[in-house]
Amino acid sequence: MLEQREPIDFSKQFLITTVVILAAFFALTGRFWYLQILKGDHFKKMAENNRVRVLPVPPARGILFDRNGLMLVNSRPSFNLYVIPDDVQDWDLLKEQLTRLLDMEPDLIERRLAQKKASPFQPLPIKLDITSEELGRLETFKYMMPGVYIEVSPQRNYPLGPVAPHVIGYLGEITPEQLKSGKYPECRLGDYIGQWGLEKEYQKDLGGIKGGRYLEVDARGREVQVLGVQEPTAGNNLVTTLDWDLQKTAQEALQGRAGAVVALDPRSGEVLAMASSPAFDPSTFTRKLTAKDWQTLLSDPLKPFQNRAIQGQYPPGSTYKMVVALAALEEGLVTPETTFYCNGTFLFGNRRFSCWRKGGHGSVNLHKAIVQSCDVYFYNVGLRLGVDRLARYAQYFGLGQPTGVALTSEKGGLIPTSLWKLKRYKAPWHPGETVSLSIGQGYNLVTPLQMAVLTAALANGGKVYRPYLVKKLFSPQGRILKEFSPVQLRSLPVKAEHLYLIRKAMAGVVNEPGGTGYACRLWGITAAGKTGTAQVVGLGKKGGRDHAWFVAFAPLEDPKLAVAVLVEHGGHGGDAAAPIARKLFQAYFHLIPRGSGTGASSTEETPSGEENQTPPTPSVRPEEYRVD
Amino acid sequence: MWIDRRFIQNFNWSLLLLMIILISVGVINLYSASQAGTEAKGTPVYLKQILLVGVGFLALMAVLWFDYHLLLSLAYPLLGFSVFLLLTVLFVGKTVSGSQRWLPLGLFSFQPSELAKIALVLALAKYFYTHEKNGRYGFRELALPFGLALLLAGLIMKQPDLGTAVLLLLICFSVFFFVGVAGKTLIVSFSGLAVLMPISWFFLKDYQKKRVLIFLQPETDPLGAGYHILQSKIAVGSGGIWGKGFLKGTQGQLRFLPEHHTDFAFSLLAEEWGFLGALLVVTLFLLLVLWALNIARQSRDRFAMLTAYGIGAVFFWQSVINIGMVVGLVPVVGVPLPFISYGGSSVIVSMIGIGLLLNIHMRRFVIQS
Repeated sequence: MLEQREPIDFSKQFLITTVVILAAFFALTGRFWYLQILKGDHFKKMAENNRVRVLPVPPARGILFDRNGLMLVNSRPSFNLYVIPDDVQDWDLLKEQLTRLLDMEPDLIERRLAQKKASPFQPLPIKLDITSEELGRLETFKYMMPGVYIEVSPQRNYPLGPVAPHVIGYLGEITPEQLKSGKYPECRLGDYIGQWGLEKEYQKDLGGIKGGRYLEVDARGREVQVLGVQEPTAGNNLVTTLDWDLQKTAQEALQGRAGAVVALDPRSGEVLAMASSPAFDPSTFTRKLTAKDWQTLLSDPLKPFQNRAIQGQYPPGSTYKMVVALAALEEGLVTPETTFYCNGTFLFGNRRFSCWRKGGHGSVNLHKAIVQSCDVYFYNVGLRLGVDRLARYAQYFGLGQPTGVALTSEKGGLIPTSLWKLKRYKAPWHPGETVSLSIGQGYNLVTPLQMAVLTAALANGGKVYRPYLVKKLFSPQGRILKEFSPVQLRSLPVKAEHLYLIRKAMAGVVNEPGGTGYACRLWGITAAGKTGTAQVVGLGKKGGRDHAWFVAFAPLEDPKLAVAVLVEHGGHGGDAAAPIARKLFQAYFHLIPRGSGTGASSTEETPSGEENQTPPTPSVRPEEYRVD
Repeated sequence: MWIDRRFIQNFNWSLLLLMIILISVGVINLYSASQAGTEAKGTPVYLKQILLVGVGFLALMAVLWFDYHLLLSLAYPLLGFSVFLLLTVLFVGKTVSGSQRWLPLGLFSFQPSELAKIALVLALAKYFYTHEKNGRYGFRELALPFGLALLLAGLIMKQPDLGTAVLLLLICFSVFFFVGVAGKTLIVSFSGLAVLMPISWFFLKDYQKKRVLIFLQPETDPLGAGYHILQSKIAVGSGGIWGKGFLKGTQGQLRFLPEHHTDFAFSLLAEEWGFLGALLVVTLFLLLVLWALNIARQSRDRFAMLTAYGIGAVFFWQSVINIGMVVGLVPVVGVPLPFISYGGSSVIVSMIGIGLLLNIHMRRFVIQS
């Protein structure tokens, strides 16, 4: 309850306040009177003469470097043609003039000019990155074409040629959908933004901030003088994890074939190389790409845009045997001494599964099974494991789901379980399917990147890293803005000595005569690896060769490089894929290739080391295999 | 809820009408401003503004519903809440053109600094209501309310939003003037201020310093910071007596005017509607402020009087600073013009302010039960 009090007298305050308010509003009105009535004509003239046009000045886009500071992507100046609709006097004439001066389809010119309604004062992009001939012609006749402006902007340039185009990606004109999405508030129609790869993922960092050029124009819209320039802010630079030398080696090795190569640093998960073939030339995207060019690229049956390293899904073939072997050891189903007898075939029910070596391998223990890739050993072991236990170990390695590398559209592959089959096919799991599963065939699907992560984890003692492509971001002034460090996703819950056994066997694959990966053996360093052949189902006889796999790491004692190679329809892993891995090791460790060609004759089915060839000098004494 | 017949009788319909006219002028002007925008960014601003006005009306009704004395107990918690929101916005706020002023709330963003204006007015009103005194106030009584205003202003200054920070201090000083400040206190404060001013210069951000300097001499930098003032003056001046006509303002449509739908909305209006249009809107704001003052004069108790006076001060300073900025009388500090500038928080909080005035006015004869 409020008490009624003797009111305090505020009339003086009210009076003063009223006077202040009236005075303030009187002052404002007076100002309007001064500006609009007294000086109205003066400002009207200024507004009419205020024919200042603001042309956007695109910022320099961030530079991409390789891990050693080599410039992979920078920018070069390009000349863009704009029209400011308000300054155009005769549209038909302008269309005619442009048609004559530009090497451009008249339809397209007409379509671009038709956008004039958007805003009379906004520069309308007609053609970006005009050629120097076009520039010369335009400059000559510009004075006859009011409203035509030429602006310089930085354009993507690839000083070392197309390096890792699938990883770096490309720029493209912003689409109307992207403009509407509100994710690119700084952008206007005609702007180029990253549309794929790192260019897309790091658009925000690389993009920079636009500036403006203030032009004074005369009543006919011709440029009189430049009044000033608001400098744009350059985008931030990016140091990738890629090693240019290794990347180039990978790309060259894949030349003319379809496939993918991934190289990781097993100590961090840094992607040192990621190549996919066939590739495309990203510089074509910065230029005018005709509709026909696009069609050609898109309709190519070999899908050059596909990044096979992360989007290609293949059965792992025999490269999967490490997972099976590790699972069997860990589950106590086998010891290194356990042997199975291989006579070339394996009977399951009334089905007959054969080993790739028709004559059989005889008595086979774990080491020999991996070195010679004996299928019968793994049929036996796989059956004892069962599909679900096997899947669990595959999932420890990250198989069956995307690795999480910062690139969109990464595929996750497939690791089947009995539950999965029930859901997918409404049918129970058949043990016979486990048999083919245990040699990496059947429903299994993996990407080359996943296999590289798996190989790295075997090499580094069980650490599964998330692969990454960017080491650091730094400002144009050189200040480091962000550094990326390795992200370990999990540790394999397996015993160190089991991993050691697998590594030792993988070393045998490459270095022991009779090993299927003999084609990858090196002088000076011990590599370890595993071949694989992924059966291509349904391709029949016409060229449908199997996919060749090879995964490897080196050096054995202290792994610094892990690679996964896949060659589509390459045939046998030891043949097609292992030599590529060898080239990578030679490039990375600066080894001198010696006796090149040896071992290349081997196939997985007929291991190399034929007696008529000189066996290589063993690079390491047996005891050096030992790792702790 | 018992609705007194007298509420209807005493309802200030003219104030409500005045507000509706201002809002309509604002939306029409925003329609013109959105014609200049070429970025395809979904819903045009004038439509968003209409939607926000709808929300504002709901808020206004809600404010009318209860007896304003309820605010006596809510004033301090509301102030605390404002401080909390201002702190939050500093940590998790959304950054728009370099300032961290917005709290993302799904569809719209909320600007806590707008709420702070009302919260400060209510807190000051309550303080001087509970510390009623039939004489002038000295240091000791003024220290706490001034400290609170300074805290709010400081937090807003950090965003950085110089305009709103200054506005809060001006509101605080207005209320101080109204309740009366002892002569000695006044003299000491002014001399203290004279000392502090040059010091505070060092705390201004570079762009803020630049704006003050440019304000003093806009012609020195026609394309940089002085650009806004000069272009705005050209826009207003070239409007002449009759204006260039709706949607025909070359300055605004040319986008020489940056922020032509927010802080410089009035400049576009003056360009298109000329001296007559500007005079009309200035008069509308004058009426609004005088009405608020009248409501304060007629109010039943000290709390109501101070609240109404404080809200009047909010409208007064905001309109004078914004319009003054547009015609080059005040530095460009970025204060929205109530109901005319686009901005959800500003519109809704302004409508809540009107709601409070209406509330106080219609209950002026009612004895609280």
